Amino acid sequence: MELLVYLLLSGLTTGSLYALIALGIVVVNKATAVINFAHGELFMFSGFVAWMLHVQMGVPYLPSLLAAVAFGFLLGAATDLIAFRPLKNANIISLVLATIGIAFMLRGTARVIWGGKGDYLPFPPITSPEPIMIGGIMVIPQQLAVLAGSIVIMVAFAAFFRLTRAGKMMQATADNAKAATLAGIRIDRIYMLSFGTGAAIAGAAAALMAPLTLLYPDMGFSFFIKGFAAAVLGGLTSLPGAVLGGISIGIIESLAGGYLHSSFIEVSAFIVIMFVLVVRPTGLLGSTRFRRV
Amino acid sequence: MNEALLSVRGVSVSFGGVKVLDGIDLDVKPGEIRGLIGPNGAGKTTMLNVICGIHPPHQGDVLLDGVSIVGRKPSAIARLGLGRTFQTSQLFRGMTVLENLMTGLHHRTTAGFVAASLNLRRYREEEEAAEEAARQALEFIGMSAFADRPASALSFGQQRVIEIARTLISDPKVVLLDEPAVGLSLNRLAEFDTLLRRIRDEKGVTLILIEHVIRLVMDVCDQVTVLSSGRRIAEGTPDAVRNDPGVIEAYLGKELRARHSAS
Amino acid sequence: MALFGRRNVLVAMLLFAAVAPTFLNAYYLFVANTILIYVLLAIGLNILVGYAGQLAFANAAMFGIGAYGTGLLQVHFGWPFWLAFPLGALIATMVGLAISLPALRLSGLYLALSTLAFAQFTQWVFLNWEPVTFGAGGFKTPPISFAPLPISKTLGLYYLSLILVMVLFALAQNLVRSRIGRAFVAVRDGEIAAESLGVDLLRYKALAFGISGFYAGIAGGLYSAMLNFVSPEGFDLFQMVIHKAMIIVGGLGSIVGSVLGAGTLVFVLEALRKVKGVQEIAFGAILVGFILFMPGGIIGYLKEKVRGWEEPLHRARASRRPPVAATSESSEVRP
Repeated sequence: MELLVYLLLSGLTTGSLYALIALGIVVVNKATAVINFAHGELFMFSGFVAWMLHVQMGVPYLPSLLAAVAFGFLLGAATDLIAFRPLKNANIISLVLATIGIAFMLRGTARVIWGGKGDYLPFPPITSPEPIMIGGIMVIPQQLAVLAGSIVIMVAFAAFFRLTRAGKMMQATADNAKAATLAGIRIDRIYMLSFGTGAAIAGAAAALMAPLTLLYPDMGFSFFIKGFAAAVLGGLTSLPGAVLGGISIGIIESLAGGYLHSSFIEVSAFIVIMFVLVVRPTGLLGSTRFRRV
Repeated sequence: MNEALLSVRGVSVSFGGVKVLDGIDLDVKPGEIRGLIGPNGAGKTTMLNVICGIHPPHQGDVLLDGVSIVGRKPSAIARLGLGRTFQTSQLFRGMTVLENLMTGLHHRTTAGFVAASLNLRRYREEEEAAEEAARQALEFIGMSAFADRPASALSFGQQRVIEIARTLISDPKVVLLDEPAVGLSLNRLAEFDTLLRRIRDEKGVTLILIEHVIRLVMDVCDQVTVLSSGRRIAEGTPDAVRNDPGVIEAYLGKELRARHSAS
Repeated sequence: MALFGRRNVLVAMLLFAAVAPTFLNAYYLFVANTILIYVLLAIGLNILVGYAGQLAFANAAMFGIGAYGTGLLQVHFGWPFWLAFPLGALIATMVGLAISLPALRLSGLYLALSTLAFAQFTQWVFLNWEPVTFGAGGFKTPPISFAPLPISKTLGLYYLSLILVMVLFALAQNLVRSRIGRAFVAVRDGEIAAESLGVDLLRYKALAFGISGFYAGIAGGLYSAMLNFVSPEGFDLFQMVIHKAMIIVGGLGSIVGSVLGAGTLVFVLEALRKVKGVQEIAFGAILVGFILFMPGGIIGYLKEKVRGWEEPLHRARASRRPPVAATSESSEVRP
């Protein structure tokens, strides 16, 4: 019983990070109907920026996190400029491969700057590293901090989307791009804003996660594919769906690791993805929508 | 009843609780040119999609030459001799005109993986025959000079006509044409009823035609079926339909009124 | 025929490849053999992605399955290479066919995700199924022998690769010019129209996946024999990007382009072999640069600028027509 609660809690924590990555993927997909395959690398790169500021240059944690968010936004907007805007009318294969090209440029750059394969950079925890016991259950305070941070980011994002002018324009464009254009919304800016916002959320997730685990240049893709899977699980265009999808994948991984074998953590997500796509290609909450394919 | 080449029996389709087609019957005789008209949203394209197997009907049956084709894959229905064109041009953009037409012969040719990759003689002969047939089809529509042009380099109207030729090349029994006259230049439009009649008379193909150019429908069709809100509201010769009060009200009325107020 | 047309250039390349071992040193012979292996990978992937238009990411995994299959059948069962090699390729083909099953229901991004997940799953199996795959450290394969032929292993493998490239190039070239190649392009350019012409989507998607699996499997078997060593690292995501970059650089939807792309990029890969980070940056930049500025790839440039590089999807009728009429474009006479 205690093991179950512990596993659920740690699954929830990782899952909330996947949820943040999935949110970024969904924001881009809602606006543009494409997937940014460099999303995981934007996440990784922003995490390294936070690490550089916080660990190497001694900047306090919170400003480092905000810098990672800002840096993520810039990288996302750059991805739009390089790989999406010129290729808007090209086929999906060119578009996806262009974002993969960007992913590998970022990954290689991170490897050159921050170390070769196998170098893992630790990030000092922001809370006490000692586990504490709450009602007989072992809890690592850092997990609670990540969970709370994720919730704050999700709420902030929801507020941005619902309340700000930029957020409302993004929503309007996602609902009906043609009508939005007629209403005078400059759609290219919305695309850029969506790429930027998606990557900014990833930047926040990276800075949040860094104290919990280690940073390495290859980490981006694994997070991307799980975030992508979470987004698909939630129907690819649903923001609440992305959150639920992320948490589901986190919990499945955690349970597989706890009850089967630790090596199953990584692979359980892939098995779930393949299974879900074969059985229910539009995701668990997904509605059938005309896709640009 | 038995002489019908294509029979639609009580077909109903609904999307999200809305009945798009509601108990439609349709019998088309061999050698007929049938017009299918109706206001926007009447369910005409859905009807074609049901016949060619893209949307399975929720109720009812579709028979081609007396054989039920409901539940078969579109490709299998095509092999039984049902061709179709689409509202928007669906030429394969990465191919030349000639190659598009040769693709139309896909299910009339048989070369398999082994014969094709080893370039066996049987396959080469089939391939030459296919190319010959494609050139003849181009001649039929008077576009032989376009054989080696990339499909993407043609005007919209040219693409539409080539698409029709691509469908005809496999000698189908029935061809469904979804608004074939859209995008045609006035010159081409003038020759278009001749082309449709030649398709029927020289190729022996039965045609079902959705069209908004009413003059074309009235000129060329033997029988016209009128759909409105998913129901069949009239059927008969162009003259009979033209004078049907229900049709005038539901469909032509609007057009006529619009035309009167415009002139 | 144009002097610098496709046929002449290919013949020249083939002659060069045939005599190359007489003057290349061991390292360059290794590079040449690597090129031959990547040519096979690029052709198979181009049929799947460039012709049939399926956005799939499992090619590196099938390359790995071919290599592991060939290697492990030798190591665990003591089979000779000559038996393990075709069987390894067959296993990769079967896997290719199996992952095509969801492809009928999935298109575009969803297919990309499911094949990526499959590739990661395969990588996980290579890493974690230690009793069989020997885990992260990989394993050595027994050296192959060309006895009774009086030829060294290196040279024998090089010529074996060259012969396989010639045969599989010719097969692919024939295939894409047939009704099957046209069916692939039809599936790519418009699934609904393809179906309405009687093209069975499942059949042709499965065929394209199977072919790419077979080519990748053959390449994997040769690769394991060339290195005498197999480890999971060779079949990771970077490998996937190398394959994708080859078909983009060569040109999507071109068999000859696959050859040119593979040849070019193996040199880039070797030139930058010292620093993995730089390799990644270079391949990422090549991918983005070609997609943005040269979307037709090398072959697109050649088709535009040099006579004799056209690649029709049907057989040229040169045999039945006087050559003048066949090559002149504007004077197409109506029969």
